[in-house]
Amino acid sequence: MSGAKQVPGPPETVVLPKRLKAPEIVAVLAEIGKRTGNGTVTLDFREVEEFDSTTLAFLGHLTDCLPGVAAANVPDALVRAEAGFARRPDGCWPEKPAVAPTGTRFGRFLQSMADRFLNRVRTVGQFMAMLGDEVFHIGNFLKTRKGVYPGETWNQIFFMGYKSYPIVCVLLFLVGVTISITSVEQLKLFGADVYVADLVGYAMLLELVPLMTGVILAGKVGAAVTAELASMTVLEEVDALRTMGIVPTRFLMVPRLIAITLVVPLLVVMADVAGIFGGIVVARLSFGMLPATFLDQMLNTVDWSDFTWGLVKTVVFGWAVVIGAGFKGLTVGRSAEEVGRATTESVVLSVTLVIVLDCLFAFVIY
Amino acid sequence: MDIIAARELTVGYGRAEVLRRISFTVPERLITAVVGVSGSGKSTLLKTLAGLLPPLGGGFDFAGCPVDYGSEASLSALYGQIGVLYQDGALLNGLTLYENVALPVRMRYPELPEGVVRDMAHASLAQVELADSAEKLPAELSGGMRKRGALARALVLNPELVFCDEPSSGLDPITSHLLDDLLLRLRDSFKMTLVVVTHELRSIERVADRVLLLGDGGLRFAGDYADLAASDDEFIRTFFLRKDHHDDA
Repeated sequence: MSGAKQVPGPPETVVLPKRLKAPEIVAVLAEIGKRTGNGTVTLDFREVEEFDSTTLAFLGHLTDCLPGVAAANVPDALVRAEAGFARRPDGCWPEKPAVAPTGTRFGRFLQSMADRFLNRVRTVGQFMAMLGDEVFHIGNFLKTRKGVYPGETWNQIFFMGYKSYPIVCVLLFLVGVTISITSVEQLKLFGADVYVADLVGYAMLLELVPLMTGVILAGKVGAAVTAELASMTVLEEVDALRTMGIVPTRFLMVPRLIAITLVVPLLVVMADVAGIFGGIVVARLSFGMLPATFLDQMLNTVDWSDFTWGLVKTVVFGWAVVIGAGFKGLTVGRSAEEVGRATTESVVLSVTLVIVLDCLFAFVIY
Repeated sequence: MDIIAARELTVGYGRAEVLRRISFTVPERLITAVVGVSGSGKSTLLKTLAGLLPPLGGGFDFAGCPVDYGSEASLSALYGQIGVLYQDGALLNGLTLYENVALPVRMRYPELPEGVVRDMAHASLAQVELADSAEKLPAELSGGMRKRGALARALVLNPELVFCDEPSSGLDPITSHLLDDLLLRLRDSFKMTLVVVTHELRSIERVADRVLLLGDGGLRFAGDYADLAASDDEFIRTFFLRKDHHDDA
C-alpha cells in the first residue's frame, strides 16, 4: 500500500502518512478491502499533517459507515476541521438507489414498450398537425401575402439552391458514371450495350435524381434547417416571436417551403443533365457511342411524363425534408445538447421520409 | 385597477406542478417583482402569464378578460397587449438591431408605411439609448446592449404590460443599475406596468413597488415591498437575511 505503513506491534493498525489526500486515501481503502474478515483495522492518524476536504469526508465516513474500521490518534486540527465540515446530517449515503423497481420484469418491459409506442403515436400526431398547419399557412400566405418576413424567401432560395447545386451536380454526375459502367459490363454480355442510354435516362429521370437529390437535401438543407430552428428554440427566439404575435410555424417555415418549391425544379434539371452527361461520357469512352446517338436512343424510351414524375417526386421529397427538419427543430428541448441530437434525428427522419415516399410513388407510377 | 388577476393558478411542465393553486393580482402602472430562489417557479409563472405555457389548473384574467389557452384569438389578444424581455434578449441573429425592433410592427401591421415603422423603431431605440447602434447585428452588441435592444423591441408596440425575465442576470453591477434606472423611467415617465422576474435582491429593493415571493411550490407573500421588508415571517426573514449576507459580501 503506497503512503501507509504497518507498524510491527498490533498487526491490524495502519499508520497513515503525513500527507493524506485523495490518492493516499484510495490506497488506504484498497488496503482495508484486502483485510476484510481479519477483525478491526485501526487507522492511526498521528502523523497526518496535510489534509483537505477529501480527508474530512473520509474521516467522517469511516467513523460512521465503515464497519470494522476505527480511527485513532486523530490530531486536534483534523477533529476541529471535521466538526465544521458539512456532511450529510442523517448518516451514511445509501450505497444503492433507495427506490426499488416495482412489478415483474416482464410487466416493466411491457410498460416501457407501451410508453414508447404512445410517445411515437404522439410524435406522429404532432407531425401531422404541423403538416396540416403548413398547408394552411402556405395557402393563407398565397392569399394574403402576410406573415412572412420580406426578403427571407430569397435568403432561403440562395441557401437551398445556390449553395446546393454544386454538390447535387457532382454527385449525380458520379452516379451517372457509376450506373453506366456497371450496366455496360452486363449489357455487353448480350450485345445490348447500346441500351445503356435507355437505362441511364430512365433510371436518372425517374428514380436516381429524385432519390439522390432528396437524400442530399436531407443531409444539407434538412440538417441546417433543424440546427437553425433548434438553436432559435433553445435561445427563446421562437418564444419571442410567439409573444410578438408572430406565428413561428408560419414565419419560419413558409419561406423555407416556398424556397424549396422554387429551387427543386432547377436542381432537378441540373441533376438530370449531370447524370445523363455521366452516362454519355462512359458510353463514349467504353464503346465509342456518340453523344447524339446516346440522346436519340434515350429519347426513344423516356418522355416528358418521366421527367415530370421525377420533378413531382423531388418537390414532394423537398417538402418532406423541410417539414421533417422544421418539426425536429421546433420541438427540441431546452438544452444546447438537444440541438445536436435533433439535427441527427432530423437527417434520419428526412431520409426515412424520402425513401418511404419514394416507395409509395413506385406504387402510383408503375 | 389590476391588469392581471390570477385565480387558483397551477403552473408546471407536463405532470410536474411547480406552483400550486396560487392567487394574486398585478396592479397597473407599478413594477411588480416576482421573487424567489432559483427553481422556485419564477420563469415558469412568467411563461404562463405571457401565453407560452398552458396552466395546469386555475386561470387568470388579463385587463379584465379571461385568457383562454385553447383559443388562438384569446392568445393573440394577449400577445397584442404584452411585451417580453427575455433573459438573454432573444434577438434574431440574422437581423440588425433596427430590423429586430421593427419586426413586431412589420409583422402585426404590414399595412403601415415603411416611414412610420422606421420612426417607431427609432423612437423605441432612442428610449433605451441605442439609436446609434441600430444597424449593428446582435452578435456585435454587448450583453447589456442586447438586453436594452430586446427591451426596445418589447416596447415598440406600446404594450400594456412588459414582462422582464431576469433583466440583471449576467450583467455587471453598473450595467445592471442602468437597466434598473431604465425600468423606473418606463414606469414613471410612460406610466407602464412591468412584471420583473428576478432573484437580484438589490434590484428588487430599487425597483419593486409590489412583490410576489415564491417558495415551496406556492406563493409565500404578495403585497407592497415595504410590507415585505417589515414582515416577521420566518421564510421572508430567511430570504432577506440571505440578502444581508449577499450585501456584506
